Amino acid sequence: MEYSNPKLPEGINTTEEHPLKEFAVLSGGVLLCIVVVVMALGFSADLLARRIPFSYEQAMVSSYPGSVPESHPVDAVLQPLAGRIAEAMDLPDDMTITVHYQDSEIVNAAATFGGHIILYRGLVSRLPNENALAMVMAHEIAHIKHRHPIRSLGRVAMVSLSVMALVGIEGGDTASSVVNDAGGLTLLTFSRAQEQEADREALAAVNKLYGHTAGAMDLYEVLLEPASESVGELPAFMSTHPLTLDRIRELKAMQRDLGWSASGTTQPLPVGLNRP
Amino acid sequence: MELLIFLTLLILGYITGRIAEHRHYRSILEREDTLRGIPAIASKVLPTDFRGDTRLVTGSVVVSVDYFKRFVAGLRNLVGGRITTYETLLDRARREAVLRMKAEANSQGATMVFNVKLETASISKGRRNAIGSVEVLAYGTALIPG
Repeated sequence: MEYSNPKLPEGINTTEEHPLKEFAVLSGGVLLCIVVVVMALGFSADLLARRIPFSYEQAMVSSYPGSVPESHPVDAVLQPLAGRIAEAMDLPDDMTITVHYQDSEIVNAAATFGGHIILYRGLVSRLPNENALAMVMAHEIAHIKHRHPIRSLGRVAMVSLSVMALVGIEGGDTASSVVNDAGGLTLLTFSRAQEQEADREALAAVNKLYGHTAGAMDLYEVLLEPASESVGELPAFMSTHPLTLDRIRELKAMQRDLGWSASGTTQPLPVGLNRP
Repeated sequence: MELLIFLTLLILGYITGRIAEHRHYRSILEREDTLRGIPAIASKVLPTDFRGDTRLVTGSVVVSVDYFKRFVAGLRNLVGGRITTYETLLDRARREAVLRMKAEANSQGATMVFNVKLETASISKGRRNAIGSVEVLAYGTALIPG
């Protein structure tokens, strides 16, 4: 018997498809699916979360005593202004706003569950007048009014559970981190939409409160200062907030379209705020 | 920043992977031609007219895929289907292992290798996602005419 290993044609055990084509089809398809699914999950979680009664939120916060900052003497200085803004914004009867002043360098403010808003000294001390302060507070109160914190929580919980189900809890490999990041970036579109909504609502509240919108924009001038942006702004698609310049442009357009006066007398900051 | 590192690794993996694979295939084809005189046969039954020595010969190889291919394979894991980027990895590994076995047989003065078997092992035990390498072992009985 004769034995031999003849030369066989190539490509029997391999596929003659360009790896870049496979890459493009797979990554494009997977990313598209993630965006569509996260959007759908996000919207449905949003619909459910906004039906959670506000009192549940309040109960949730009070059962975790560490979740809101300790009281500060300046809280009492800010609280009456919050009351006036809340009135101008027609908050539902059961919604209460509690202001917390935090003695910290952070140039920021935040709204959290149960109607608690937090103002940091770093931001408040840079504001030139009460109107800008009212703009910040109105922005945060708008988040509360539209139930943004609980809706974000619902969305993030829903989406991260689904991503975990898809790629496994431990993740770790590059493909699952891509799924994770793509899901996270898609979620940020919701976050930016919420910020825009809060900006608009806040400007309307300031206009209603003072009869003009002078001073409101000073807030964004502060946000544009180099000190407040230590790391520089990320590209829009990676940010939780729209870019500051875009926010200013958007609000100026709103002022113009609705015929709100951008000039007027600004009020001095409430007495009792520590100026450095 | 993370995105940048990821893209760099991806591009780097793609380019180096392509070059390595291309070179390897060229070398495989060359050596397959030179060692064609020593057939590797899967049969257990030796030729009846054979007189001489028999000896175990082995050839083993460890190959890894590049970052790019592993990433594409990871995406493929999500949707299912043929992992075409791993096919060349295994094809190269099997042929390389057989070639090394034949080279060993050649150095022993053998004319044929019988009862050839292939074993494949993944060497990423315990680090499921970190290493995309395989070991292929080819072994058989070299016939050395006496």
